[in-house]
Amino acid sequence: MSVLPRASYFLRTALRGLRSNPVTTLVAMGTIAVSLLLFGSFALLLQNMQSLLDRLGDELYVTAFFEQGLPSAKQRELAVLAATVEGVEGVRIVSETEALERFRDGVGSGAALLEGLSENPLPASLEIALVPARRSAQGMAVVAESLNGLRGIEDLVSGEDWVEGYLRSVALVRGVCIGLGLILSIATMLIVANTIRLAIYARRDELEILSLVGASRSFMQTPFLLEGVLQGASGGVGALVLLFALFRLVLPEFEFGLEMLLGGIRLHFFGLGGMMGLVAGGGMLGLVGSVAALTGGWRP
Amino acid sequence: MRERTRSLARRLGVGHAEGVEPRTAAANFFHVSKSYDAGTYALQDVSLELARGEFVFLTGSSGAGKTTLLKLLFAAERPSEGQIVVLGRNIARLGDGAIPALRRRIGVVFQDFKLLPNRSVEHNVGMVLEVMGRPAKEVRARVFSILKQLGLQHRRHHHPLSLSGGEQQRVAIARALVNEPEILLADEPTGNLDPELTVDIMDLIASTASRGTAVVVATHELGIVSRYGKRTIRLEQGRIAEDVPAAGSAA
Ligand SMILES: Nc1ncnc2c1ncn2[C@@H]1O[C@H](COP(=O)(O)OP(=O)(O)O)[C@@H](O)[C@H]1O
Ligand SMILES: [Mg+2]
Repeated sequence: MSVLPRASYFLRTALRGLRSNPVTTLVAMGTIAVSLLLFGSFALLLQNMQSLLDRLGDELYVTAFFEQGLPSAKQRELAVLAATVEGVEGVRIVSETEALERFRDGVGSGAALLEGLSENPLPASLEIALVPARRSAQGMAVVAESLNGLRGIEDLVSGEDWVEGYLRSVALVRGVCIGLGLILSIATMLIVANTIRLAIYARRDELEILSLVGASRSFMQTPFLLEGVLQGASGGVGALVLLFALFRLVLPEFEFGLEMLLGGIRLHFFGLGGMMGLVAGGGMLGLVGSVAALTGGWRP
Repeated sequence: MRERTRSLARRLGVGHAEGVEPRTAAANFFHVSKSYDAGTYALQDVSLELARGEFVFLTGSSGAGKTTLLKLLFAAERPSEGQIVVLGRNIARLGDGAIPALRRRIGVVFQDFKLLPNRSVEHNVGMVLEVMGRPAKEVRARVFSILKQLGLQHRRHHHPLSLSGGEQQRVAIARALVNEPEILLADEPTGNLDPELTVDIMDLIASTASRGTAVVVATHELGIVSRYGKRTIRLEQGRIAEDVPAAGSAA
């Protein structure tokens, strides 16, 4: 019957609660912001490494070189055969001429080197794209193994060492993200739980009176839940602002090192989804923290 | 829900504006005992009926059990033995979740007021309506109206601690009356008032009874009791020593 007046009462009460203890509130929000900033930095790094990987994904081919002079009918036959191998997403024949053109594009001004050659030294090949699940060093090895026995194929080249190294560092960063996320989540929840416990204690007289004049349990508890959510979410907003500042002001100083790590691609900040995720995540942690405070520390 | 039943009853021409069950009692005690510590009784074998709109004084010396009886009425305490039915609810069997709804139908003036010292008078009185989820505009209007009745409208932005004892007492009464309760309980409501104010306050409380609210006033001031000639229940060591009906009514 009265959702709106209640909502406004809850919000007013929660905001007054936050204001009534400004030091505690600001310290809690600041600590949450720093926690989420730490986590957010790694999440941002992971996101950029991942997006590089996705772009690389298209280039993670297994290349099968045909025997010199293999007739094109036979090449097509092998292409069809390779396409049926498990883990293969698609195949594409690269002719001798195309291979030469690519080489020219690749070396640029060095193309003069090729001018002296009367004959094209590059073999035709089959570019074998893998399904996403196989786009790893082991995945490529498995597919390459299945293709190995095919007649008419001279040589198989799968992946490169740096891909494997890169994949390993992505996995490492992901691990750090998960571990850090877990630890910082617990820390954030404990911080919120503690400030809410203090808030409950500070308002115990009011709660007693509310209960005597007929306030339900949820009516008394909701402002505290909201307080927790607001603390967590504003910590999230703070983390975003700090992270963005770092991204804009500090990161350019380290451009060179990052280029080595990320292969010189442009770094991107979180999209809208990522930003909302960080704020909502903070809010969720705040909610869990205040629930813990309400169920653990207070029974009206 | 209750409002709906009530307005339905009104439209059908049954019942009466003050409640759905006008002929049932506001409260009934059946052989009620209350013991805080094993072996000693604060109340013992108390049976009584409180009719709707009835005004009752509860007297007895300090420690006789007056406050305990009031606490049982709004489910701040549960009986150790016996049954209590308040506004159709069995207190002994009432679940914790059902207590708030019952308390919203009962106004209580606490002996120690229980006002929030760092909130305005307006907030202290209005919280009863906030709890019920009434819109802010309605809360302001009703709070203003009850404060005006009690001569406190100019104090509504003050904090209780800046008020005199008598003014705090009236704020406590305003809070108990603002949602037009079906039962009003007052524990020593004139303890802090000068004689002139005592009369005003008691007249106000008595007039709510005449509008259909059952009223129980616990007091040890026999002067007030004799002045009003209302039904008087005297407690002695937790037992009903006498139950004197209102002057002029058939016993
Ligand atoms: N919370 C409590 N715990 C233990 N004993 C109590 C409690 N409240 C009241 N009593 C005891 O119950 C008896 C009745 O007290 P009370 O109802 O406050 O009497 P009155 O209001 O008439 O002065 C007294 O002996 C008192 O000491
Ligand atoms: Mg008492």
